[in-house]
Amino acid sequence: MLIEMKTLKLIYFNIVFYTLFLSFSAISIPVLSLFVAFLSLFLSHRNTMKRIRITIGWWALGIIKIILLPVARIQYKNRSEINILGPYIFVCNHRSFSDGFLLALPCMPHECIQIVNTWPFKIPVIGLIAKLAGYLSINEMPFDEFSRRACELLRQGVSIAAFPEGTRSADKKIGQFHSSIFRVALQVQCPIIPICISGNENIPPRRSLLLHQGIIKMHKLPCLEWEQYKDLGAFKLKNKVRDIIAKELAAMEDVA
Amino acid sequence: MDKQEVIDKINQVFEESFEIKKEELLPQANIFEDLGLDSLDVVDLVVALQQKFGIKIRADQRVRDIRTLEDVYKFVLILKSEEKKPLK
Repeated sequence: MLIEMKTLKLIYFNIVFYTLFLSFSAISIPVLSLFVAFLSLFLSHRNTMKRIRITIGWWALGIIKIILLPVARIQYKNRSEINILGPYIFVCNHRSFSDGFLLALPCMPHECIQIVNTWPFKIPVIGLIAKLAGYLSINEMPFDEFSRRACELLRQGVSIAAFPEGTRSADKKIGQFHSSIFRVALQVQCPIIPICISGNENIPPRRSLLLHQGIIKMHKLPCLEWEQYKDLGAFKLKNKVRDIIAKELAAMEDVA
Repeated sequence: MDKQEVIDKINQVFEESFEIKKEELLPQANIFEDLGLDSLDVVDLVVALQQKFGIKIRADQRVRDIRTLEDVYKFVLILKSEEKKPLK
């Protein structure tokens, strides 16, 4: 009986969430697209791209701050005192599909793109918008091409958010990091901001769209300036950042 | 250079270039999953090995097949033995 109630509750909250999500997106995406398209008549290409990226950030913030409310409560802690201008490289652990949306919280108000796998580009509408905004699909290009494009974006002042584990971890254990984004950081001398997300392993779980209720904890950690890591190679740098994130996650989950 | 010397030198490369602790350098350790290297780090590894042993490592299939530390030992030993063979 108790299990049945839990299942019904789960189904109810998912229906509420997806109805709100689809309605919100069906209204906000066309309205925001038209707004940006209108602005583009008066703005340069660079400024139009900036508006697109910031608009995506606001849309994602709307999803996680309003639409996600029936399912999850977010406890956000900002321990990073950073210049508003940027750009920055945001590096985050990866456990769930919702990470991509949740990153709007620590990344906004920066103009930001994400490094993604191939499959998010295949999601209807969202994939197209991500492509339009210049998100980088790391598996679809050789490293030299990725590095050239990422460096160019950072030099234009665009921040980059990455999940260096490359894929969502199957459990709470943090995976090995790929070094690509850290090589870019060393090349452009860009500050790195580690982000930790815990508690969203089931919002939704891997290979599922069913969201389970829970509390999501998100910590934005102090910025790692270039002066602090300039003497490290890419391998040591990626492991340094991985250690920082792993240590914080352990503390977050210990408290939980 | 005997086998043990080659192993010691390769372990030194992992310790110096990647700051991997000696106790983690087990022959069966997977260089990707256990030691945390990725394909770009392997390029750095190849450069470090070339410098350490004064050998030329081409990007051939044998490099792509490397999975464990033991594979690295075997690979370098093969290259060293090929180096000794007189040119026909």
